[in-house]
Order: sequence, then structure tokens, then C-alpha cells
Amino acid sequence: METIVSAEQVGKQVAVASGTLTILQDVSFSVAAGESLAIVGVSGSGKSTLLGLLAGLDLPSSGRIRLAGEELNALDEDGRARLRGQKVGFVFQTFQLLPGLTALENVMLPLELAGNPAAMAQATALLERVGLGQRLDHYPKQLSGGEQQRVAIARAFAIGPALLFADEPTGNLDAATGGRIIDLLFALNAEQGTTLILVTHDDKLAARCGRRLHLDAGRVVADERKD
Amino acid sequence: MPHRLKLAWRLLLRDWRAGELRILFAALVIAVGATSAIGFFTDRLQRAMGSQSAELLGADLILRAPRPISEAWLKQAEQLGLRHGETLEFPSMVLHGAEMRLAGIKAVADGYPLRGSLRISDAPYGAERDSRRIPPPGEAWAEARLLPLLGMEVGETLALGDIELKVTQIVAFEPGAGGNFAALAPRLLVNHSDVERAGILGVGSRVSRNYLFAGELTALARYKQWLTPQLEPSHRLVDVREDRPTVGAALERAERYLGLASLTAVLLAGVAIAMGARRYSERHFDVSAMLRCLGASQRDILALYLPQLLLLGLLGSGLGVAIGAAVQAGLFALLHELLPVRLPPPGLLPALLGLLTGLVVLAGFALPPILRLRQVPALRVLRRDLTPMPLRAWLVYGAAIGAMTLLMGRYTGSTTLTLSVLGGTLAALLLLGVLAWLLLRASRALRHGAGVAWRYGLNNLWRRPWTASGQILAFGLTLMAMALIALLRNDLLATWQAQLPERAPNHFVVNVLPAEVERFAGFLREHRIDSAQLYPLVRGRLTAVNGTPVEQVLAPGDDGGAVNRELNLTWSATLQADNAIVAGRWWDAQDAGQALVSLEVKLAQRLGAQVGDTLLFNFGGSELAARVASLRTVKWDSFKPNFFVIFPPGVLDAQPATWMTSLYAAPGQRAAMAQMARDFPAVTVIDLERLMEQVRRIMEQVTLAVEYVLIFVLLAGFAVLYAALQASLDERLYEGALLRTLGASRYQLRAGHLAEYALLGLLAGLFAAAGSELIAWQLYSRVFQLDYAFKWPLWLLLPPLGALLIGAAGYWGTRHVVRRSPLAVLRAL
Repeated sequence: METIVSAEQVGKQVAVASGTLTILQDVSFSVAAGESLAIVGVSGSGKSTLLGLLAGLDLPSSGRIRLAGEELNALDEDGRARLRGQKVGFVFQTFQLLPGLTALENVMLPLELAGNPAAMAQATALLERVGLGQRLDHYPKQLSGGEQQRVAIARAFAIGPALLFADEPTGNLDAATGGRIIDLLFALNAEQGTTLILVTHDDKLAARCGRRLHLDAGRVVADERKD
Repeated sequence: MPHRLKLAWRLLLRDWRAGELRILFAALVIAVGATSAIGFFTDRLQRAMGSQSAELLGADLILRAPRPISEAWLKQAEQLGLRHGETLEFPSMVLHGAEMRLAGIKAVADGYPLRGSLRISDAPYGAERDSRRIPPPGEAWAEARLLPLLGMEVGETLALGDIELKVTQIVAFEPGAGGNFAALAPRLLVNHSDVERAGILGVGSRVSRNYLFAGELTALARYKQWLTPQLEPSHRLVDVREDRPTVGAALERAERYLGLASLTAVLLAGVAIAMGARRYSERHFDVSAMLRCLGASQRDILALYLPQLLLLGLLGSGLGVAIGAAVQAGLFALLHELLPVRLPPPGLLPALLGLLTGLVVLAGFALPPILRLRQVPALRVLRRDLTPMPLRAWLVYGAAIGAMTLLMGRYTGSTTLTLSVLGGTLAALLLLGVLAWLLLRASRALRHGAGVAWRYGLNNLWRRPWTASGQILAFGLTLMAMALIALLRNDLLATWQAQLPERAPNHFVVNVLPAEVERFAGFLREHRIDSAQLYPLVRGRLTAVNGTPVEQVLAPGDDGGAVNRELNLTWSATLQADNAIVAGRWWDAQDAGQALVSLEVKLAQRLGAQVGDTLLFNFGGSELAARVASLRTVKWDSFKPNFFVIFPPGVLDAQPATWMTSLYAAPGQRAAMAQMARDFPAVTVIDLERLMEQVRRIMEQVTLAVEYVLIFVLLAGFAVLYAALQASLDERLYEGALLRTLGASRYQLRAGHLAEYALLGLLAGLFAAAGSELIAWQLYSRVFQLDYAFKWPLWLLLPPLGALLIGAAGYWGTRHVVRRSPLAVLRAL
């Protein structure tokens, strides 16, 4: 199968007061299109850093990452932004909706940035798909946590991404709401044939992914696949 | 890309709805509102003051020439749309029966005066009225004092050369009379067409031709510029500034003050805008990070935010200009009784300037923080603590300084003033920034013995010394600007009042004969007329300095002025109260009879004369050498007798002298003045009342302008306060919520806030006192030519005022911190 994202001997160090802190070390793996991958590990194991690197939000200190056929090191920040705008969707633990925009406007935003003339119609359809057809004009603070995350999911799928990155998507939600969000995420993933990469502490969520990558102290310690 | 613009517009609308733009917009509106209100107000007032002054002169501009000027010069004036007219002035004998007197003839044509109007009365010292006419051919209007000299009444005729003229009116005030005491002969106003018929102007007659011009300010300026290089040495170009040193100096100071005040308002508003923009920028880090995450390039971010800024600038400036115009109109409506009846309408220029000011200030103060949005790292969506690189200091300050330089240059019209004020301010800021930091360090001593609430509040300051220093700087700058503008206002007004006290002399009396001096003094006492000392007047010429002829000691291009004419010399045992010795010493009793002189300091500089040098005088053939004993400053605009050269008593006794003084005649003393003209026929009285009244009116207007401008500066100052408070509110909201969850009481939080802001205000007040002292010292001497004295009340007043003002504002501004539920605050983050 076609590889959509790959990491080759990726390392990340940051300078701290006492010297250099190694966050990731010698991480290599690749993900095929359509796969679902959960990155798991204890707090501080480097999960979120790895997610940021894979999505092109940051560059590794060493090693190479290829995303949708492009070498991320070879792109400048604007080039990576363009790539994200075309291929990548995000869902975050804290939802990250823009507070000044309504639900509809939040979902329209990536479409508008891409210059899509049918932004409003597509965004409306997506919000209806996630069950928020009645709440288009509500602002984030007028929505519950679960509803906000559904808006965020609609926004992530708006551009029809090849890849969806999710950072603890259920971390801020109760178990029942989290369960419904997971259902929605996987349903949309299946409908659109998106590759899903998520970071989670939630075993139930990790269990639904086709593959689990275990990180410990910045190294990959296990790479399990569901049979 | 139109869809980007549409998105920018929608983001702007959303931010507007969410209240994100409030501070930035308010600061901008206040900045532009204040400056354009000042702009409109001073523009109109200046034009009004200019036209008032022009009424004194009878024209906006006068060219004095001994011979007719080239026709081409008048054509050029017409081409520029200027009106022009001509008057002739010359001395001539007039006769009535057996009496014969020298009169100062002024021949005027229809249209005279171009500005202002003649004041006439039917009888000497009678009720005055404005006249729109001039004397028709065959008639003459005389100054009141001419009639008793000739022993005639209104309605009788006098002879001028070959013709007879009937005196039909008394001239009470004549625009353009000037303060020219060389023309001491009483005035006779005649029609221009009668001059030729009288046949009195032969070759070699001493005629002064005055070419009067009036019109638009810009046209006048262009004409002046065109004409000046072509003038001959005998030509003199006069406008109100040169004609009336008192008015000129007052106008100039007022203009500088107004210019400075509007600049201060702009600077203050700029600071407010910078703070507002910084907060706006910081509150948009998340949005920018999200946009970057969703695929927006750096260019996209700019393409989104720059049009928003521009739009905001246009809307805010437009509203500001509208408010400025409304405020200005309201102000004029409120003050209509004090102001001249006909006010020029507000010009378009202040509106354009207001818009431009708004955009420039926005670019200088708000652009750098907005540009920073482009550098927000996309990774911030995962790690909230990531912020864009702080702006380079040179970018922030460079942009602000650039904007201020541009505006200052425009407002002051002077490069030296701009650069010196700017340089001084920067040096002061640097110095005072360090001072603020030190003050803050020193204030840590307060920590001991303070309660928990106070310690919490004060800790807020000590924890971030540089942020707090910045706040002290901003608050201090605000207080300083307010204090400076208020200080200057007081001193300017005091200076003007001192110049024109209630009972300032309004008449000059000259030609009191030596034999009549005692009787004249008795007359003044008897009629209770306030007067200055009686001074003897001896005419003499200064011929040499240390043996070198005067023409050779003058700098090239100095035509001598007073030195070339016969000087009015005097003697006196005492120094005039408003003169001050700057070198040498004033004489005492035993110096009487010694050949000494006291010399006016500016004349001494032109002559290169020092104390101890020898001056040679010529009195109609006899020479006298005198040693310079002292140099003096003279207040030429005091309306009192003033002299370049003063001798001690007993030196000039042998020279023919007449005596002079200045006096104040109250409105009820008109009869006494008429009596004086009858009792002392030789005495010449020059009436300054009308002139004084107009000068006083101009001063009143200037005063008014100065008063109101202060209000605008204070408003701009409060805008800074507001913006600064808002800027620190987010963090305080969060901290407050956190502390309350941890069990802090509302009272403790509020007391903490009060402590924090009061200390901030106290330090800012100290800072402002130091800064005002420093800048005032420079401004007074360099820009306003005012005497500077240590301003100790500043040090007593500003620190508590700062603590009170900023403490109260901070207390009020942070009330939401304890009102909103901690849960709501923490959730919103």
C-alpha cells in the first residue's frame, strides 16, 4: 500500500538551562494511506512532539519526515503551511475553535483560506453531518464540550484531508461524550478514506485503531498491529 | 484576492462584535479626535487672530517704500488673487487763520483700510463709531489733538498747500498707524485725489508710500516669498509680527504651545494605540496559530490583518475627525461671546491632517505588534506557551519614532525644533527608564510590614520589573505630558497678564517743555492719573565705538536701524523696574555728572561694545565721549518709555531736552485728557487705548485656545490610562480567578489591586516630576523664551496625584476581576 507519512531516524532535542534535553530519539516508522494509528505512552514520553513533527508543525533536530510525498525538511514554513492546508486536518484536546467565530464560520475557515467559493454550503453540510445543523450560528462558548469537539471534527474534515491528526480528542470530555466523539471520528474516517493518526491516553480509543505505536522516553518501544 | 479581503472584512466584523477592537479603536478615535479638534480649533482661531491682528495693521501685509514700486509687483499680487491699495504718508504744514502746525498727512483711497476699519467721532474725544467711508475729496478728518493746536473746531476749514479742506470728522483710530513715534505730528487724513491738487509733493519730498495687501494666507505667503528677494534696501515689508512685537511674540508662543500640545496629544494617543495593538496582537496569537495550522502562509496572515488595520484606521480616523469637528463647533458655540463675530469656517486641511495623523500613528505604533502575528508558530496549537519572537526593539521604537518625527515636522514646521525635542525626549526616556527600574527596586523595602493583600499586589510589580518599568514609563509619560502642558499654560498666561496688566499705560505723552515739567507733574497728580516717571528726551547720534565709526563696527548687512537715526537719549538716576543689568553696574549718586552710559544689551551686541568701551555721541555738532558702565535688558513690549542709551543725571544738562512719559487714563478721565490738551498746547498725546484693547482681545483669544487645548491633552492622557489598564486585565482576570479558587477574599484581591496601582501611580508621579523638570527647563529657554524656575510644587503634587489617579483608575478597571465567577474565567481560557 502507498505510504502517506514516514519518519526516518527522527530525533528532537531542545536547549534548556542545564544543557540539551532529548525529547525524541531515533524514531522510524511509516504509515500507509487509510491506516489508523494511535501513538500511546505515559506523559512526557514525546507523543505530542512526535505528532507535531509528523504534521509539519515543527521540524525534527535530526532525521527526515515525508508527508504526502513531500520531504518536510525541504519546505519552508509557508510551504509546510500550504501542504497542511491541502492535505491535513487537525482535532485537538482543547478543541481550538476561534472564539469570535460561530460554529459555521469556524468550519468555513479552512475552506475560505483555500479560496473555496462553496465554503458556506460545504460547511453547512458537514455541520449537519455531525448533528449540529441547528446550531450553525452559535459561538463556541454557547456550545457544550462535546458539541465544540464535533464542530472541530467538522472543521478538520472540511477540506477532505488525506491525513487527520488528533491530539487527545477525548481528553477533555466525559466517557459517554468521548465515546460518541470516537464513533463520529471513525465514521467520518471510514466515509472519506482518511488516514488517522492520534495521540491518546484513552485505551478504548487506542484499541479502535488498527495500529498502536508505544513511546517511552522518546523511543519507539513497540509497534503493534491489530490482526 | 477579493475573497481574502472579504474574509478580512468578516474577521474584522467578528472581532468588532467580540469587543476585541474596542481599545485600539477608542485610542485611535481619541487620538484623531483630540488632534483634529485642536487642529480645527487652532486653525480657525489662528485665522481669526490673524485677521484681528490684520485689523490693527489695516492689511495683511504692507510694503513701505520711498518711491512708487514697479507695476509688475502689483500685477503679481493681482494674479495671486490679493487685493491691494496704497496710502501716502508725509509731513506737511497746515494752516488755520494765523495758526500753523506740522501735521502727519495720510492720503487714502477708496477701499482703505483693506482690513479692520477707521474709528471716527463727531467731536474731539466724543463717542466713537466704525466708518466704512474715507474722507471725500475736499474734506479732511483730523486727530483730536490737532484742533486745539490750530485753535479750530470741527466744521471749519484748514489749508493744505494750495487747497482748503473742511474738517468734518475726528479720527479716533486709524489702522496701520503703527507705533512709529518718529511721526509724532498729529494725523490729518485726506483723500488721495486731493494730494495732487494741493501741489505739495515736489521732488525730494519725504513721502512714505504704503502698499497694502490682503487675501488668502497661502497666496500671501507665496507673494511674500516671491517679493522678498526683489526688495531694495529702502523697502520694508511689514506684517503684524514685525509691526507689533507684543502681539507677534504672543502669537508665536501661542502657536508653539498649540503645536506642542497637539503633538503631546498625538504622542499620548500613540502610546495608547501601541498598548491597544499589543493586546490585540497577543489576543490573536491563537487565531494566527490556528490559521497557520489550517494552511495559511505568512503572507496570508498579513493579507488578513493589514487590510483590517487599514480599515480600522480609516474608520477610526474618520470618526475622530467628525468628533473633532463637532467638539470644535460646540466649543465655538459655547464661546461665541468671547470670540470675534465673523469666524472663518473650519478648513478642510485639519480634516485631512487628522485622517493622515490617524494612519501615521497607527502605522507607527500598531503596525509592529500586528506584524508580529505573522510569526506566530503553528506549533502553538499544541503548546500554548509558544509565542512569536519578541519584536526587535529597533523595529518597535524605529516605527514609533519615525511616525512621531513625521508628525512633529508637520505640526511644528521646524526641523531643529523637531529634532531637539525628539532627541531630548529619547534621551530623557532612556534615563528615566533606568530610573523607573531603580525606583521599583527601591520600593521593595515596602515589603516588610505590609499585609498579605498589599504584598500580593506589590509582588505583581516586582515579579516583572521590566514590564512594570514600562508601565511606570507609560503612566509617567502621561502624567508628565499633562503636567508640562498645564505648567506651560500657567506660565504663558502669567507672562501675558504681566505684559498687559489691568492699568497698563494707554497714552504716551511727549514734548513736555522743560519749563512745564513741574506744572505737568502737578496736573497728573491733581487729576489722579497714573503715569510712569517723566524722562528727559535728548536727540543725539552715536558716531563711533572705541574710535571706529559706527558704520564699520556693524556686521555686514546690518543697516543700523535705530543707530542710523537720531537716538532718543535720556538720563535717569534709577533703573527702570523691568530693565535688568546683565553686565557692569548701575550708577549711584556720586556717579552723577560722570560721562557714563548704560547700553541696551542687543544694541551692544550689534555694536560689539563691552562694559568699559568708549562711545562717541554727537549732539548737533558738539561731541561727547562716554564710557559704557553697564548693559541692560529692556522690555520693549511694556508700553512704557524705553531707551537704548541712558546717561546718569548731570551729563546732558547742556543739551536741549523735552520730557516724556506714559500714563494710564481710565475711561472716566477723558475730560482730563481734553483738559491736558488745552492746558499744555505744546504737549503731544498719543492714544494707545484702541491698540491696547485690540492687543488685549487677541491675548484673550490666545488664552482661550491655550485653556481648551489643555483639556484635549488630558483626554488623550486618560486614553493611555484606559488602554494600559485594559492591556494588563487579561492576566489579572486569570490570576484573580485562580487566587479566589485558592480562597482569597474579594477584599484581599481588591486591596492588592489598589496597592499595585497606587504604587505604580506614585512611582509614575515621581518619574513625571523628574521628567517635567528636565523637559520644561529645556522648553522654556529654547522654545518659549520664558524664565525657568525650579518647579518644586511638581514634586509635591505629582506623586500623590499619580497614586490617587492611577490607583483609582486601576481599582475601577479591575473590578471585573472579582465580579466574574472564577469558574467562568478559568473556563474561558
